[in-house]
Amino acid sequence: MDSDATDDQKVLLDASVRFMQQVCPLTRVRERAYSNITYAAEYRRQAGELGWFSMLVPEDLGGGNVSGNGVLDAALVAYKRGATLQPGPFTGTNVVAHALSTAGSKEQRQKVLPALMSGEASASWAISPPAGHPAMEDGVSAEFRGGACVLSGCKTFVQDVDESCWLLVTARSNAGVSQFLVPPGTPAVRVVALDSLDISRQFSEVHFEGAQLPASALVGMEGKAFDLVAHQSAIAAVLTAAESVGAMDHEFEMTLRYAKDRIAFGRPIGSFQAIKHLLADMSLMLEMSKAITLAAARSLGSDDGYGLEAASMAKAFVGDAGVDLAQNCFQIFGGIGFTWEHDQHLYLRRLTTDAALYGDPAWHRERLCQLSKL
Amino acid sequence: MSIVEALSEGMRKMETDVTDLEEFRKEVRAWLAANLKRRRYSGPQAARTETKTPEEIAESRALQRKLFDAGYAGISFPKEYGGRGLSAAHERVFREESAGYVMPDFGAAGAVTFSAIARSMLAHASPSFLRRHMPKILSGEEIWCQFYSEPAAGSDLAGIRTRATRDGDRWILNGSKIWSTGAYYADFAMCLARTDWDVPKHRGLTWFAVSTKAEGLTIRPIVQIDGEAGFCQEFLDDVVVSSDEVIGEVNQGWAVAQTMLVYERGAGQAGPVVLEPRTLAPDLVALARKVGRSNDPVVRQSIARAHINDYAQYHLGKRIAARLRASDQPQPAVAAYGKLASGTFSPIRARIAVEIGGPEALLWHPDDKRGMRYAVNYLNGRMTSIAAGTNEMQRNGIGERVLGLPREPSFDSNRPFSEVIANARNWDGRVS
Repeated sequence: MDSDATDDQKVLLDASVRFMQQVCPLTRVRERAYSNITYAAEYRRQAGELGWFSMLVPEDLGGGNVSGNGVLDAALVAYKRGATLQPGPFTGTNVVAHALSTAGSKEQRQKVLPALMSGEASASWAISPPAGHPAMEDGVSAEFRGGACVLSGCKTFVQDVDESCWLLVTARSNAGVSQFLVPPGTPAVRVVALDSLDISRQFSEVHFEGAQLPASALVGMEGKAFDLVAHQSAIAAVLTAAESVGAMDHEFEMTLRYAKDRIAFGRPIGSFQAIKHLLADMSLMLEMSKAITLAAARSLGSDDGYGLEAASMAKAFVGDAGVDLAQNCFQIFGGIGFTWEHDQHLYLRRLTTDAALYGDPAWHRERLCQLSKL
Repeated sequence: MSIVEALSEGMRKMETDVTDLEEFRKEVRAWLAANLKRRRYSGPQAARTETKTPEEIAESRALQRKLFDAGYAGISFPKEYGGRGLSAAHERVFREESAGYVMPDFGAAGAVTFSAIARSMLAHASPSFLRRHMPKILSGEEIWCQFYSEPAAGSDLAGIRTRATRDGDRWILNGSKIWSTGAYYADFAMCLARTDWDVPKHRGLTWFAVSTKAEGLTIRPIVQIDGEAGFCQEFLDDVVVSSDEVIGEVNQGWAVAQTMLVYERGAGQAGPVVLEPRTLAPDLVALARKVGRSNDPVVRQSIARAHINDYAQYHLGKRIAARLRASDQPQPAVAAYGKLASGTFSPIRARIAVEIGGPEALLWHPDDKRGMRYAVNYLNGRMTSIAAGTNEMQRNGIGERVLGLPREPSFDSNRPFSEVIANARNWDGRVS
């Protein structure tokens, strides 16, 4: 996916890959190294130095990207991250950095944004409502009482939340869709860590039990967050799709190598058309996934008027293609794929979870229809 | 020459190239505006076979002649064979500029004449053959078609059984060919025949130029599933072909076939200029509204799927084109991705229309000429899955030449072909 990268993008990607190889290779992912707070802080600090959390922030706010298209740069980094199933709220922190750059108060931009960009703090986007709520802003309600705002309800599928993590909460208030930046350690905000299919990341449920926030926690105007949330959702869709494509690419390579090495009936199993044709179809879907994800990143990052649609298309296409690919890889690995020590299950778990994260394929298809006025 | 001089020389050359292209574009634009009719855009054309009338063919020949006389036929073909001797970039400029005009349309036979057939001839035919035929091809006087597949050989092209027997300085051809699109209006056919039966299959093949007016040649249009008759079956009964109408070397036909297949799969073309699809599947949306199902969640999912696949296919095409441009060599295996994508998604898309439309797509009033379009598209939806290399052949190509997987074991490529076909029906699966 990075074959057309510019020289500057290549420098960024090479440095990022070196960092991941040194600090967080797949063996560390397996050990869940990121669940250690000290490790996570050091990981974030180094990632911040590489510019991972600055790409969607304009230069006058201290951010910057290497190609002029921050979404494309971030998507290429996400692609590299996906190959080794990197942990950490990369998508969430970038979404929050974008939201603060676009609509944040002076205080949020001056105090929180620099800490996110440097990696000193992280941020996660609390968007997914618990089961039974179709709309993104559902799950948490916001009520203004006097000068304060009270949040009640629950969000789930919140990624890699720890003590230093800011939360951007998308909620419903009387005025409409509103967003709040919740500081780490806010009373009456209860984070419940969940076990999950995906063991490369930590997901949590966040309960807001009448949490009181000052009015300054609002991001943008009360009730006016609809368009910004749509844009955040598109960024999250593109970055998640790009991480998935990285994971697909790596898993496909592993499987292809196995199909050439594994001997059965006196020849490599990849010489059988049943396997060869399956791999050819998977390779086609992988190429199309790369093409559609790059197209969406280019479109969204250049504000060419089709970015929201393109982002939803990429998320829907890659979501399905990713799960199909992981399932087929599993089948080709056969028995060895059922063992804990083999890496295929890590990819199956990740790709299945990515498909559901920030809107599943069916959700994004319906969204495409709505964006297209159908 | 110093490095600096060489670089500035290179820069100058690049500038003149660019200037040259821009000049050419201006020249083309002016000529087109003064000489050709504008075309009305009627939306994306669905895949379908086409029947051409003699009048349509005659009009296209006149138009082709006009292009030829003005120097716009065979822009990148050598001057000595009637072309203009310019680059592929010039050819592309002309394609871009002429997209809005009525151009010659010889149907599928025209497409293969100017790409696969003419390009393969340039690579393999003798200079005297090229001087004889190429100017006539470029001027529209000779339309060619393909005599490749046979009733008993398609994907396995090297397994053809049409026989060519040498008789002094001529050859006698016997056998049958099939799926030759446009043969009923073509002037010549590029015909593959077996000239040696006692060697392995790839080593006994030879190509011939066969006149469609030749004595002993019968051409029968085949009525297809959509009721049209675009392609034909031919019977060759002692058809005589002169030795100087052999294309390439005798018994070396497989080398020509490989060039041909590369161009047939589109690796030799710059590709059509297509716009990025940015409107949600307009045909399906219109159909859904017509049948009152635009709020049906199942239908909405299907429409979105179709558009997403169109969008992904478009961007895959751009990605492949960039990879092909970046390479000096034609890369049929890379081009196979585009073919397999089309062969995979076209049938799905055609099927979605039938599912959304229900009776509206399946039934129509006898006087409603457009009423059958969903049904026809449905029937033709598998065209790209089968024609010009089936999905399975594309998968073999991708698997073996892109992914580097081992080939299928071959039990017929090292034995005399006559022995292979004698024993094929009794094959027991043992490779020895």
